[in-house]
Amino acid sequence: MDRFRPESFLPLTPVAFEILLALADGEQHGYSILREVERRSVGTVKLHAGTMYRALARLLESGLIEELDERPAPAQDDERRRYYQLTTRGIAVARAEAERLFSQVAAARQRKLLGVKA
Amino acid sequence: MRSALFAIGVLAYPRAFRRRFGAEMHADHLRSGGSVIELIAAGLSERWSALVRLFWWPNHQPHLYAPTGRHFMFWDTLRSDVRHTIRLALKTPLVTSLTVLALALGIGATAAIFTVVNSVLVKPLPYRNAEELVVVWSDASRQGRPQNTLSPANFLDFQRMNQTLSGLEGYFSFVTPFKLMSDGPSEIVVGITVTPRLFELLGRSPLLGRPLADQPASFEVVLSHGFWQRRFGGDPHIIGRTLQIDTTPATVVGVMPEDFTFPYGSMLGPSGFTRATAIDLWAPMAFSGPLATTNRILTPQGQIVRGTHWLGAIGRMKPGVTIDHVQADLSTAARQMEQAYPETNAGWGATVVPVLEQTVGAIRRPLLLLLVGVAFVLIIAAVNVANLVLARSIARQKELAMRVALGAGRLRMIQQALTEGLFLSVTGGIAGLLLARWGVSALVALAPADLPRLHEVAPDARMLWITVGVALLTGIFVGLLPAVTATRVAPQAALQDNSRGSVGSAFRRRARATLVVAEIALAVTLTIGAGLLLRSFYALVSVNAGFEASQMLTWQMNLPARITTQDQRTAFYRDFLDRMEALPGVVSVGGTSRLPLGSTGLTTSVTVEGGAVPRADWPEVQFRRALGNYFQTMGIPVIKGRMFNESDGAAGAPVCIINQAMATTFFLGEDPIGRQIRNSDTGPAWTIIALVGDVKHGALDELPQPEMYVSTYQGSMVSPYIVMRTSGDASAMVDLVRAEARRLDRDLPLYTIQTMETVKSDSLAQRRFILILVALFGALALALAAIGVYGVMSLLVSERTQEVGVRLALGAHPSTVLKMLVGQALKLAGAGVGIGVVISLAVMPLLATQLYDVQPRDPLTMTGVPVVLMVVAMLAALVPARRAMKVNPVQALRYE
Repeated sequence: MDRFRPESFLPLTPVAFEILLALADGEQHGYSILREVERRSVGTVKLHAGTMYRALARLLESGLIEELDERPAPAQDDERRRYYQLTTRGIAVARAEAERLFSQVAAARQRKLLGVKA
Repeated sequence: MRSALFAIGVLAYPRAFRRRFGAEMHADHLRSGGSVIELIAAGLSERWSALVRLFWWPNHQPHLYAPTGRHFMFWDTLRSDVRHTIRLALKTPLVTSLTVLALALGIGATAAIFTVVNSVLVKPLPYRNAEELVVVWSDASRQGRPQNTLSPANFLDFQRMNQTLSGLEGYFSFVTPFKLMSDGPSEIVVGITVTPRLFELLGRSPLLGRPLADQPASFEVVLSHGFWQRRFGGDPHIIGRTLQIDTTPATVVGVMPEDFTFPYGSMLGPSGFTRATAIDLWAPMAFSGPLATTNRILTPQGQIVRGTHWLGAIGRMKPGVTIDHVQADLSTAARQMEQAYPETNAGWGATVVPVLEQTVGAIRRPLLLLLVGVAFVLIIAAVNVANLVLARSIARQKELAMRVALGAGRLRMIQQALTEGLFLSVTGGIAGLLLARWGVSALVALAPADLPRLHEVAPDARMLWITVGVALLTGIFVGLLPAVTATRVAPQAALQDNSRGSVGSAFRRRARATLVVAEIALAVTLTIGAGLLLRSFYALVSVNAGFEASQMLTWQMNLPARITTQDQRTAFYRDFLDRMEALPGVVSVGGTSRLPLGSTGLTTSVTVEGGAVPRADWPEVQFRRALGNYFQTMGIPVIKGRMFNESDGAAGAPVCIINQAMATTFFLGEDPIGRQIRNSDTGPAWTIIALVGDVKHGALDELPQPEMYVSTYQGSMVSPYIVMRTSGDASAMVDLVRAEARRLDRDLPLYTIQTMETVKSDSLAQRRFILILVALFGALALALAAIGVYGVMSLLVSERTQEVGVRLALGAHPSTVLKMLVGQALKLAGAGVGIGVVISLAVMPLLATQLYDVQPRDPLTMTGVPVVLMVVAMLAALVPARRAMKVNPVQALRYE
């Protein structure tokens, strides 16, 4: 079997990266991912249910996230809800993407496209 | 509500995706308040990637759901239906290819004709906001000419007085052959004189240089793109060059773009087209100065001419103004002019015509006629194919019944039939598209050169859409009937092995019979139309033109520049005629200013000397000049009197020759010889010396007009038409004539050399074009109808084979059985023919304008065509019927 190489997934689509970021804090269901992404990006990433579930489908298939087997306490649960969490592969890919972005930001800063943070 | 929208929108997603995420998406969609459009858009993307993976690239974007399984019900069934259809098609390659060919012909021909119709009738003319442009005429309805050209003074008044036009510009209502001098032999270029601001009015600027100047310092010309390319090889430095045109040096100031055309033939006036329609250059018109006098815009006294009409005018409506406003406005102006100049303007009004209507109005009906004709052919072809698909569905009755019995839904059956229809029509459509491309070129090649906007006809994107649309409609039509009948299958009856004439087949037979009847009715209508056109055409070809066209050569020429006086002209013509008549094989030579069937007319208003008719009521007559042995050469009969002779020169008394129509108009049976007529109050009066036969001048289907001839030796003539009668083949004389002309003078270009037969034949080109196409459609319709009858009869016969066997075994005479079978076909054909004749009686009067010397309800055509069709139907029925006769009764009975 091929060795797992996080770089082969790069660059991630913005939506996929946002989802991975949202799941970095721990498992969530679809709607809370949606909320989290909107909150974090202050509305700059407008995520729609259809777009998000397409991305979820891709991430699930690639094994970057997985569906949670056990559910939270029945009281908070809604039977339609499925919970998703990052896999180790997912964490590796998200880190690789973050590093990729960071090196780009660093390059931009070096070329005076961005102000040096005070 | 949002929930319902979601339920619809989510259908955009593949089924597996819906199953996996549908519930979550539903909840999130409602809570987050996203738009349904976005939902659908994402769904379609998902479905697209699913399709990509399914058909081309299994590894494309990994999916959650397994690649196998029935996730795509619709696509699955479609694929299996297509596979089934293709298998069926390959099993019967001949029938399939014939079917596809029939559809391709129908669809392709329809798309081609539509493209021509669209390019000619619908597309805007190549001017800016062409819908604002109107052509302005003088209304001389009192003399039967609602679209008369304007006089220069009236034009200037309209230009000054109108309130509704943002501009009004004028042009000569005829083209002028200019002589372009160069180091080699001089050559003829076709020009038209226009008011300088015309280009600005039309909203087109030159490709190179500038338009004509308002107050030019010298004589300027603007070249057409075609002439620039042809004569100067597209020289980019042409601007500023001086051309020697006749005796005047002219500066080239501009070159117009390739798609610019002005004027179109029918803008030149009601007298018809000048057959040379491609303009080489535009020259400015001046209302003052020496040019104005030579062009007869100014009278010798320096006044702008009001009594002679030869100007065309085109105007642009102000924003928000309708054509009715312009008409009312100009009519008011015309009334004021009537009051101000009763002498010349009494009874003259104004006519305003939209420019597109002016350009293509005359051709609209014939073209729409072709569109209807081709649509008939398409319908007949589609009916035939529907019949075929129906027959196949009968052959597959058992299979269909089995499917229904196993629980296939009725919708599923309809889908299968529609798929088959669409498969055939789409295949036919693709082939049809190629045919249409080719067909458009063929139509352009076949079309008469004077068909307006012919060079603007080209296959375009619209043709593609029309082909697609027509193909889809045809497919639905072809598939729908079998689809509906397919659902009528009663499984039980059909599955019983021994079932003959099973339930549902009666319905189908009726459906097929109806289709054949409809097909025959359409074919009869089309063929009757073609028959009427054919009869008109033959009537026209054999109509007496008033002259003898065979063994005659004709050409135009401009006199050498060195010849300026009347005496020099006379001497030149005498020498020229003598030399030409001396050529071997030449019988006689003459000339005229306007060639019958080959040029526009020129009129003047005249009155009989001593009459008391007011000036404005003088009738207009066609005015011609005759040179040499014109009447003898043309074969125009001289009824009484003498021809022009040596004494009728510049010094002699003015004389003229008139035709019978003119004698009837002016003298009503009195002897016209010796009477005098005049065309002005002050000018000389002509004495009538002879009466000659009438000639069809404008077209063969026109009534002869009053016509007068004056000798060329008593007045000059620009660019005369020479006619030459030969003892042998006229076209073989061309080189000899050219050589002789060159020997006479290097500066004597001959142009538009052709035989008079060609001239006559070209005058019928448009009718021939329509006739050929309609006849072609008629023949196609007839053949398709015959195939339809054959198909239905084959089926009937095969269904009745056993019955025939029994009858023959019981001792029936074969001819009786044959009669019975053919009789059945004739009953169908009879019904179709009857309906077709009724339709024809109703619609043929619409064809009246295209007919000549034959009534729209012509009894001969109305009976002849049905007889032909009945015979064709009988023959088509006879083939399968005779086959049934050959059946061995024992074999036929074995099935029983």
